[in-house]
Amino acid sequence: MKARVPYAALTVRRAEDRETEQRPLEMRLITRLLAYTGPYAAKRNWLLLMVAFRSIQLPGLTWLTAAVITGPVQSHDLRGVGLGVLAFTALALSTQLVMHFRQRLALELGEAVVYDLRNEVFAHLQQMPMSFYNRTKLGRIISRMTSDIENVRIGVQEVLFVSIVQIGQMFLAAMFMLWYDPTLFLVVLGVAPLLWAVNKHFRRRLSGALRDVQESFSRVTATLAESVNGMRVTQGFVRQETNAELFSDLVADHSQYNLNVTRLQSAFLPLLDLNSQLCFAALMLIGGYRVLYLDGAELGSLVGFLLMANLFFSPIAVLGNQYNQALTAMAGAERVFNLLDSQPEWTDAADARELPPIEGRVEFRNLSFGYQRDRLVLRGINFACEPGQTIALVGHTGSGKTSITNLIAKFYLPSDGELLIDGHEIRQITSDSLHRQIGIVLQQNFLFGGTVMDNIRFGRPEASDEEVIEAVRKLKCLDLLVDALPSGLQTQVGERGGSLSLGQRQLVCFARAMLADPRILILDEATSSVDTLTEARLQTALFALLKGRTSFVVAHRLSTVRHADQVLVLDQGRIIERGNHFTLLAADGVYAELYRSFARASAA
Amino acid sequence: MLPCPAPPSGLSPSRLSQPGDAGASNAVLFRRLFALAWAYRGRCVWVLAQQMLLVALALTGLSLTGLGIDVMRHRLAPESVTPHWPFGLAPPADWGPLAVTALIAGLILAVALVHAALRFVASMSAGRLVQDIVVDLRSQVYDKLQRLSFRFFDENRSGSIINRVAGDVQAVRLFVDGVVIQVLSVLLSLAVYLYYMLQVHVPLTLACLGATPLLWVGAVLFSRKVRPAYKHSSELTDEMVLHLSENVQGAQVVKGFARESDQIARFTAANRAIKDQKEEIFWHISLFQPAMGFLTQINMIVLLSYGGYLVIVGELRLGEGLFVFANLLQQFANQVGQVTNIANSIQTSLTGAQRVFEVLDAPIEIASRPDAAPLKKARGEIRFENVDFGYQPDEQVLEQIDFSIGAGQCVAIVGATGAGKSSLLSLVPRFYDPSAGRVLIDGRDARDVQLDDLRRNVGLVFQESFLFSNTVAANIAFGHPGATREQIERAARIASAHEFIEDLPHGYDTVVGEYGSNLSGGQRQRLAIARALLLDPAILILDDATAAIDPSTEHEILAAMEQAMRGRTTLVTAHRMSTLRRADLVVVLERGRIVQLGTHEELMQEQGHYYEAARLQIVDDESPAESGAAA
Repeated sequence: MKARVPYAALTVRRAEDRETEQRPLEMRLITRLLAYTGPYAAKRNWLLLMVAFRSIQLPGLTWLTAAVITGPVQSHDLRGVGLGVLAFTALALSTQLVMHFRQRLALELGEAVVYDLRNEVFAHLQQMPMSFYNRTKLGRIISRMTSDIENVRIGVQEVLFVSIVQIGQMFLAAMFMLWYDPTLFLVVLGVAPLLWAVNKHFRRRLSGALRDVQESFSRVTATLAESVNGMRVTQGFVRQETNAELFSDLVADHSQYNLNVTRLQSAFLPLLDLNSQLCFAALMLIGGYRVLYLDGAELGSLVGFLLMANLFFSPIAVLGNQYNQALTAMAGAERVFNLLDSQPEWTDAADARELPPIEGRVEFRNLSFGYQRDRLVLRGINFACEPGQTIALVGHTGSGKTSITNLIAKFYLPSDGELLIDGHEIRQITSDSLHRQIGIVLQQNFLFGGTVMDNIRFGRPEASDEEVIEAVRKLKCLDLLVDALPSGLQTQVGERGGSLSLGQRQLVCFARAMLADPRILILDEATSSVDTLTEARLQTALFALLKGRTSFVVAHRLSTVRHADQVLVLDQGRIIERGNHFTLLAADGVYAELYRSFARASAA
Repeated sequence: MLPCPAPPSGLSPSRLSQPGDAGASNAVLFRRLFALAWAYRGRCVWVLAQQMLLVALALTGLSLTGLGIDVMRHRLAPESVTPHWPFGLAPPADWGPLAVTALIAGLILAVALVHAALRFVASMSAGRLVQDIVVDLRSQVYDKLQRLSFRFFDENRSGSIINRVAGDVQAVRLFVDGVVIQVLSVLLSLAVYLYYMLQVHVPLTLACLGATPLLWVGAVLFSRKVRPAYKHSSELTDEMVLHLSENVQGAQVVKGFARESDQIARFTAANRAIKDQKEEIFWHISLFQPAMGFLTQINMIVLLSYGGYLVIVGELRLGEGLFVFANLLQQFANQVGQVTNIANSIQTSLTGAQRVFEVLDAPIEIASRPDAAPLKKARGEIRFENVDFGYQPDEQVLEQIDFSIGAGQCVAIVGATGAGKSSLLSLVPRFYDPSAGRVLIDGRDARDVQLDDLRRNVGLVFQESFLFSNTVAANIAFGHPGATREQIERAARIASAHEFIEDLPHGYDTVVGEYGSNLSGGQRQRLAIARALLLDPAILILDDATAAIDPSTEHEILAAMEQAMRGRTTLVTAHRMSTLRRADLVVVLERGRIVQLGTHEELMQEQGHYYEAARLQIVDDESPAESGAAA
């Protein structure tokens, strides 16, 4: 690539994004994988039997062909030919019958294992705490569930069984050849290592070349994705030509890697075939000499031998391929198992009890907390609030507001100190029973695919349509969600809530929490500005939602703060001021200063 | 943010089709795909010629082996049919049998060597052809994308656009190598085999190939049956993945409402649906494969019985006849088996072609006129002259916009969401063109100057500051990749970004996380301002630059904006009173019309919309600031 200008590159890729594609065979992984076929042992054992049959049937067919050509045909025995053909037909039919079961059982076994693995992975994900989701990229999790599990599938349904057939076939072909002509067999045996070596050499280089192709392709798609997503910037800054050059360099580069693979493949397959051709020529010469000049050797054996030699060589390439598949399956299995083995850093205490119905009193006692052991984000937090109060959390980004709400929801455990909900220490109650009495509204207003109704009902799945509508009515926004949407509550929410306006998405999240009717509400106010009218409606809905429950609000709006019963001003993980809007203003401290600077910026 | 209008009800020319839309007719697509193949005709013929040479060589090798068998057999049993030397090129009669066998073995080896070498060459030229087509197509589509106007990107999902360049292009080139070349190659090979077999023995050929048409029919029936099932299966898989990704993205909501067991039940149902549907596919596969296998074996049975009989009665040679036939029947079955692949390739390339051609055909709405004048350094006067504008022809977003500002002045645009503020701003750098009226830059219609020159004179800061996964320096230098470090730092200083950049782990060489994740909103926005200032543009557009920012960090960029505006004509959408006060002109928009125009002081006197809006912002309860926020 010709990088002439210092800052021309569009993207820089980091090494950590890559994952290994293969790993060596490991007994530990293999036995664990095989254990997944345990529930389907009958299927698996039948399959093994079918496969064993097949490894006999395939050489059998070739042997019959050779026997007919060289036996009855040679000796002008019409009846013998007829019998031979009958035998061939019978064997062919039985082969295909076995093939049917072999194919079906293998596919079903693979699918059954994949099905169980997927369910297991999903169920495991549900137990993982928020910290896991915060550090794991979505793409990673999805590839565990898709490509990695698919690779495992190939390992389970193909590698073992195909290898058995091929090895059996090779073995039997060798036996036949030995029987036909031991000397010629030695010639074949001489070529086999050569074939194996060619195979190994090319496989290794091919897998390297294929990795290069994948890497260069991910460079192409990463650049492409940013080009498309940033197209407005590109056009606004007139960067089209630079980008086009970069992209075509990248594409040309990628095609060079592709050609490398083609080159290896173009050499590999003909070389394999050439090898067997070479062997054929030698066999013909040696065999011909023996047939013509030595007694005891027969032309029939030579023809049969040639056919068997074919059968002996063809598994080599197949086995090489299966070996490769096995390595890929190992890498997939390793990653899937790693995910399944990852333990949550904490789980509910063994003696944790169900939280009885609560009033909504929350108390922090000398509490400290850090996402990492050595870096506290909250220190010495002390406060208490009574049922039904609204607590506004105020402070700069990173001051610890969200950490407080994360602790109340028991997404994380306090590092030190106590957190009491109606007098119950949070470590002593089950997460599930707590979550059933808590409602959450996030800043991003996350909506799931489905209708608006489905999304609201997420708060309480057993709620009737009337109850859903009642929840919306309580927010005083029936008109905004029912009348203003094309199909009312049955409107489909697009990708990431695309078909709804920002305000509407927020209202859906409010309604979701309203329907759940929790004793404790956690609300992270959206920062994005909407127009003044909508803003006023959102405020009305918000107050309706907060009413009558203990609410913790990460506040971004002054009116919210002003209506709060308590305002906690946080700075670097400590509460530096507390009171309500008016007492804090009167105290003329940090809050008052912050407030004034904003008032100046907004209105001055 | 620049406006993203909801997808229109009617079909707009720049909207790409979605799955399920009826697209261009297959006949039209075929014609264009053939045109593509025609463009590479010379190389296609070359690849095809090599393929044919390979078939001929393989056949030669095979018949030489057959000949070898016949020579030996004749020697052992002189009463059997004499070997058949092609073209009557028999070796001299006085050669011993071993010499003849050695000659044949040598020939087999020679042919095999040439065959292997040619296979390498043929495979490489096919590979090169494929790569060249892909490179050409990708660059073509990418170039086209870059020239398409904003409307195109408003109306189409980025994922869909990306796939067209990354994946669908491959499907299009598949038509050349997987359909055109492949069909010709299969047909020609079959013809060669058939010719050879007919030469040897006509009735045997016909008898042996009797079942072959059934292979063909079976393959077609199978793909017709199974392809929709596979399609359905991948849809079910997509659903499962969608379910997973929503669950992960909404993990906090799921946990917060204690919905885990419910989610597991839903996922299991989606997973089970895949499994149940697959059983059907498995059943078809495990019926089809043995059936096809048996059909091929029927040919073999016919050969053994009828061919065996012919050899016995002396009508057929053992080697050149029976042995070669047995091998050729296998080849025949392989070639016929290609039908399924070809059918799939046709389907794939038609779908891909539709998606790629849509991009290539999308109209370019905004381009320089052929006689457009250059604009080196604008003074910065802007005039809107009775401008109307709409994203859709039947829907006006702006009407009768008429105002002007002098060089170096600042105009603030005020109005509710959807009033048309961003639309108005996007007309200046010609992201869209007005449907009526003119936008004048330095007294000249924007459409009469070189588009690139115009945009280089306009610095842009968008609502969502899109940064590239690259270093801070490269992001600032985005519009001028040749910039020096001094220029970059100067721009960063004006945007009050220099200090925090210096504090980053690698200073200006720190790589911005994907989509700027490791910088705060305020920091990203200041980088965006620096990027806009690098070329020292005469005109600066600040489109709601503070909207996506945590209000507590908003003041960080207000200062940067103040500095950036100095000495430039600035168009800014504003909520802040401070900005409105220092503007030379305030434009109040309502539903696409200018309802008020003047300075802040003038408008406050008028007791109109502006005064009302200002009052609404200021006088909520007793607080002087409502749209802003606390701390």
